[in-house]
Amino acid sequence: MPEIHRKLERTAIGFALAIIAVSSIGGLVEIAPLFTIDETVEKVEDMRVYTPLELAGRNIYMREGCYACHSQMIRTLRDEVERYGPYSLAVESQYDHPMLWGSKRTGPDLARVGGKYSDEWHVAHLADPRAVVPESKMPAYAWLQRNALRTHDLSAHLVALRRVGVPYSDEMVENAARDAFGQAFPDGAMAEGVAERYGDDTNIRAFDGDPGRLTEMDALVAYLQILGQLTDAPHQKEAGEQLVQAEEAE
Amino acid sequence: MMEISHETLVAIAKSWGLFYFIAMSIGVLIYTFWPRNRKRFARAKLIVLDKEDRPCS
Amino acid sequence: MRLIAGLTTTERQTGLFLAGLVTLMGAALGIAGRNDLLGYHGLLIVVFGAVIMIALLRNLDAPEPEESRLSEYYDDPIRFGIVLTMVWAVFAMFIGVWVSALLAWPELTFDAAWASFGRLRPVHTTGVIFGFGGNALIATSLHVVQRTSRARLPDQVSPWFVLLGYNLFCLLAVTGYFLGITQSKEYAEPEWYADIWLVIIWVTYFVLYIRTLARRKEPHIYVANWYFMAFILVVAVLHIINNLAVPVSFGSAKAYSAFSGVQDAMTQWWYGHNAVAFFLTAGFLGMMYYYLPKRAERPIYSYRLSIISFWGITFLYLWAGSHHLHYTALPHWVQTLGMTFSIVLLVPSWASAGNALLTLNGAWHKVRDDATLRFMMVAAVFYGLTTFEGSFLAIRAVNSLSHYTDWTVGHVHAGALGWVAMITFGALYTLTPSLWKRERMYSNSLVEVHFWCAVIGTFIYVFAMWNSGIIQGLMWRTYNDSGTLTYSFIESLVAMHPYYIARTVGGLFFLTGAVVGTYNILMTIRHEPRPLRERAETLGADQPLVPGE
Repeated sequence: MPEIHRKLERTAIGFALAIIAVSSIGGLVEIAPLFTIDETVEKVEDMRVYTPLELAGRNIYMREGCYACHSQMIRTLRDEVERYGPYSLAVESQYDHPMLWGSKRTGPDLARVGGKYSDEWHVAHLADPRAVVPESKMPAYAWLQRNALRTHDLSAHLVALRRVGVPYSDEMVENAARDAFGQAFPDGAMAEGVAERYGDDTNIRAFDGDPGRLTEMDALVAYLQILGQLTDAPHQKEAGEQLVQAEEAE
Repeated sequence: MMEISHETLVAIAKSWGLFYFIAMSIGVLIYTFWPRNRKRFARAKLIVLDKEDRPCS
Repeated sequence: MRLIAGLTTTERQTGLFLAGLVTLMGAALGIAGRNDLLGYHGLLIVVFGAVIMIALLRNLDAPEPEESRLSEYYDDPIRFGIVLTMVWAVFAMFIGVWVSALLAWPELTFDAAWASFGRLRPVHTTGVIFGFGGNALIATSLHVVQRTSRARLPDQVSPWFVLLGYNLFCLLAVTGYFLGITQSKEYAEPEWYADIWLVIIWVTYFVLYIRTLARRKEPHIYVANWYFMAFILVVAVLHIINNLAVPVSFGSAKAYSAFSGVQDAMTQWWYGHNAVAFFLTAGFLGMMYYYLPKRAERPIYSYRLSIISFWGITFLYLWAGSHHLHYTALPHWVQTLGMTFSIVLLVPSWASAGNALLTLNGAWHKVRDDATLRFMMVAAVFYGLTTFEGSFLAIRAVNSLSHYTDWTVGHVHAGALGWVAMITFGALYTLTPSLWKRERMYSNSLVEVHFWCAVIGTFIYVFAMWNSGIIQGLMWRTYNDSGTLTYSFIESLVAMHPYYIARTVGGLFFLTGAVVGTYNILMTIRHEPRPLRERAETLGADQPLVPGE
């Protein structure tokens, strides 16, 4: 053994290989099984993908670093379930490349914020948080309302996501930019296709209150309103069952 | 890739991971306390205190 | 340009070629991404490459350096690296104070996207970890490997390539956040092209390190180099795997992570935790194992213990990442595994901290008189405290309270301020006078000022975050008699306000120290301090002037 180590040291390369071998085991043991098991991600029938507008909103959420203060992961603890809603399931972030579980709650968890407030509330709150919640520490995002949304390369975004495993159909890819407009113009000609491709439950509204213009505000609000709404699975477990499980986990 | 079931992988992780851990600890301890290494380590300890600030040629 | 005059003509030409290549790459990115944010980064790379090309071109005909340089160590890039380290420290800590102030007074900014908290925060984290920490590690590792191998770096181009290339990466990262380019993976925010560039830099760094070790005249590789090697290698593995992604197109800054959901979370925290382990721990332990004995003028207490703790840390850390995901959708057994190994990890961590402190045992008078050594002593203490706290926070029950709160932020800063920054300052104050052939630093009293600013700042910061974190965690889970939650979220936020102010004050102290330190280092470079005898006359001869005398 000492001889081996001495030789390892003599050739620094061998030493390097030893470090890699010793250090990589832990990661392999922990991560590899996650890719083979079915239990990691529950099978859910009604899980849908993000629409192009929601995806653009998600990218704005990432760009502005919202994840630094808001988690999207309700833990299996009683107080969290009571405060935020049913705890998060693995399946809910199945199409999240990358996930946005977060690690800090300077602001509240957002995993179930979709549908909790009106669009108007979100727009007012994003533009000037302290006008709505006087004690808030959140930055104001007034410029989202001023910035027009980039849509011309949305198809390419969907293609990239398809490459990493999100099931976007050819039709969805082709119509990505149209669908982004359609979702924010309920009365327009492009709105119909959105519901057709992404389901009748899709929110189709002028999210920022101004149907005349597609802004980054539209996209971000569309994304916030879909959080926790992509599947019904977490709600299907009875509320009582959720609490019992949370207690047990504790 | 061959189909490996979750149970197999976890079993491997639990048994071989542990075995590997013990083997590694023993190996490191043997190396550290091997009598012939004493001199090398004693020398290594003093490398830092070497005053001469130029490479050996 | 004395730095360029030290290069041979061939090396200048190689440098010119490499800089030209970088410029071309930048131009290609810029043209492909002209309709995208990527265009700005193309331009940045072109400017970066062009500046280096111009500097080299203007000095291409300078006389060849003397042969005698080969019998000296090659320290030019290390000197440059020290200055860069301090520049990044001041910049990134300033941003840190700003973002912390924003949490106390959210209006303290401009109505512009680049100046909002969410974009500034990664500027702070990246600037400190990669800008400050990374440059310090590159500079000191190249110093340590030469001294402990008694061998000169094998060539004069690759160290510059590593140092400058690495800083280009940091620039791309930081400017990217201001512009809104981020892949949002915590502590791995830079996008695909910057990630690829870092891989190139890192491979060169590794090869440079191995080549220097291969030239060594000592039979044994000194343990500090083991830590530096583990740092370089494991960070490479982590970086490559965590950043696997598919770009939208060659002309787009945006890429989508190859992983999603649970797998992505596990990969991300496997990376995040081990970036802490191998970037912020192993690398700086390497620093400690050289500069602490050097400054104390005593050999390390137990060489054997340092070997055992090395393999312990290398082996155990990689298992512990999942403790960041307790009570989440991650499978239960993975959480338990992570928790167990996090606790076992305390053994090698404390072995290292103990080894450092026992080295000082018998030299406490030096610690008392010499602020530089005191920096390193405090660093070892904080290293011990932080690793203990880390293992403690990894316990599921504790984690259920601490996770998502400021306690984590306090823990991280106990490590970053108390351990990483303190050991770095100690190392730099040891290194600077010797590299510039000065007897000592420009002003020892300023080192003293820096030390106390740093210690006070760290204590205020850490105590503020402990308080706020625990209060926050308790408020979130407090029930009243009727069985409902007592506090709304916003009530817990309001309770944090005084602590956020205190934290800003602590940060301000630490920043002040860093500014003083930078000034002191720059003055040491520019001026020979007054001869000791002259000072002795003005001060009175009986006062101790040189630490330890």
